[in-house]
Amino acid sequence: MDNLNDLKKIWLTADTNHLPDSNEMMQLIKEYRNRKILKKIALVITALLLTALMIVVVFTYHSTMLSTRIGEVCMIIAGSILIATNTNSLRRVYKLKNCTNKEFIEHLEQARRGQINYYKKTQIIGFSFVSIGLLLYLFEGVYENIVLCITSYSLLIIWLLINWFVIRPKAYKRQTKKFNDILKKTETVSKQF
Amino acid sequence: MAFEDIYQEYSPKIFRVCMGYVNDAEQARDLTQETFIAVWQNLPAFENRSKLSTWIFRIATNNCLRAIEKSNRIKTTDLPLSLPAIHEETQEEKLNFLYNCIAGLEETERIIISLVLEDLPQAEIASIVGMSNINIRVKIHRIKEKLSKKFKEHGQFE
Repeated sequence: MDNLNDLKKIWLTADTNHLPDSNEMMQLIKEYRNRKILKKIALVITALLLTALMIVVVFTYHSTMLSTRIGEVCMIIAGSILIATNTNSLRRVYKLKNCTNKEFIEHLEQARRGQINYYKKTQIIGFSFVSIGLLLYLFEGVYENIVLCITSYSLLIIWLLINWFVIRPKAYKRQTKKFNDILKKTETVSKQF
Repeated sequence: MAFEDIYQEYSPKIFRVCMGYVNDAEQARDLTQETFIAVWQNLPAFENRSKLSTWIFRIATNNCLRAIEKSNRIKTTDLPLSLPAIHEETQEEKLNFLYNCIAGLEETERIIISLVLEDLPQAEIASIVGMSNINIRVKIHRIKEKLSKKFKEHGQFE
C-alpha cells in the first residue's frame, strides 16, 4: 500500500491527552500494587498463621493418641502446600521477563497447563490431607462422649462430603473450563508465529 | 532515564499501540497503566541488553496478549465496507475506521501493524514479536494488502 503514510497520519490523531500525568501515574502505581497482591498476601499470611498455630499446638498440647499426632501432621502438610503454591504465584506477579511476544505466549501456555495440573492434582492432595487430618485430629477430643462424638463427626463428615462432592467439582469444572478456553485461545495465537 | 521522562515519552505511543490491539479506549488506558506499572517495577533491574523502547513495547504488547486471558473483548464492529463514503469523513471517523479494520486482523497482525504505524524499524518489530526479519516483512506486506483492500472498499485511497 502506498498510503501507509496516510494511515500513520490518521494513527497519530488518537487523543492521548486524557492519559494521567506522571504524578497521577505514580499514585496509581502505589494503589495498584497494593490492591493486586493484597488478596494473595492475606491468603498466604492466614495459611502461615494456621500452620504456625498447628505447630504450636503440636508442641504445647501433649496428646496421648497417635491419631491426633497424624492429624496434626496432615494439616500442617496441607497448610504448607497452600503456602507453597500461593507464594509461587505471588512470585510470578513480581517476576517479569524481558521476552518477545512469541516467548511470552509459550510461557502463558505453560502457565495455564500448570494451573490445570494444579487443579487436577495439588488441590486434591491438599484437600485430602485436610480431610484426613481433621477426621483424625478430632477423635481424641470427643471419643469419650458418644453424643458429642456422633454429632461432631456427623457435622464434619457432612461438611467434607459437601466440599468433596458439591463445591470442589463445581469449582473444578468452572476453573478447568476457563483454563481450557484460555489455553485454546493461547494456542490459536501461538500458531500465528 | 528517569521513570517520569520515560512515561512522558512513551505513554502516548503505548496507548496508541494498545488501542490498535483492543479497539477500546478504556481498556487501552488500563493496559497503558499496567504497562507502566510493570516498567516502574522492573526499571531498576533493566539491563541494557535490548533497547529501552524494545523492552517497553515488549511489556506493552505482552500485556495486550495477556488480555486473551480476561475475555474476548476485542471490538470488531461490522462496517458497511462495500458502501462508498458519501460524505467527507472527520479525522475521528477515519481513525475509528482504521481501528475497526485493524480489529479484524489476527492478534499478532494487530501488534505488528500498530508497531509499524508507530514508525518502529522492522528489525525492532521482529525483536519485539519474536519473528525473523523476513517473516515480519512478509507479514507487514500481507497486513498492508488487507488494510488497503478494506480502505479501497470504503472508498478511500483510490
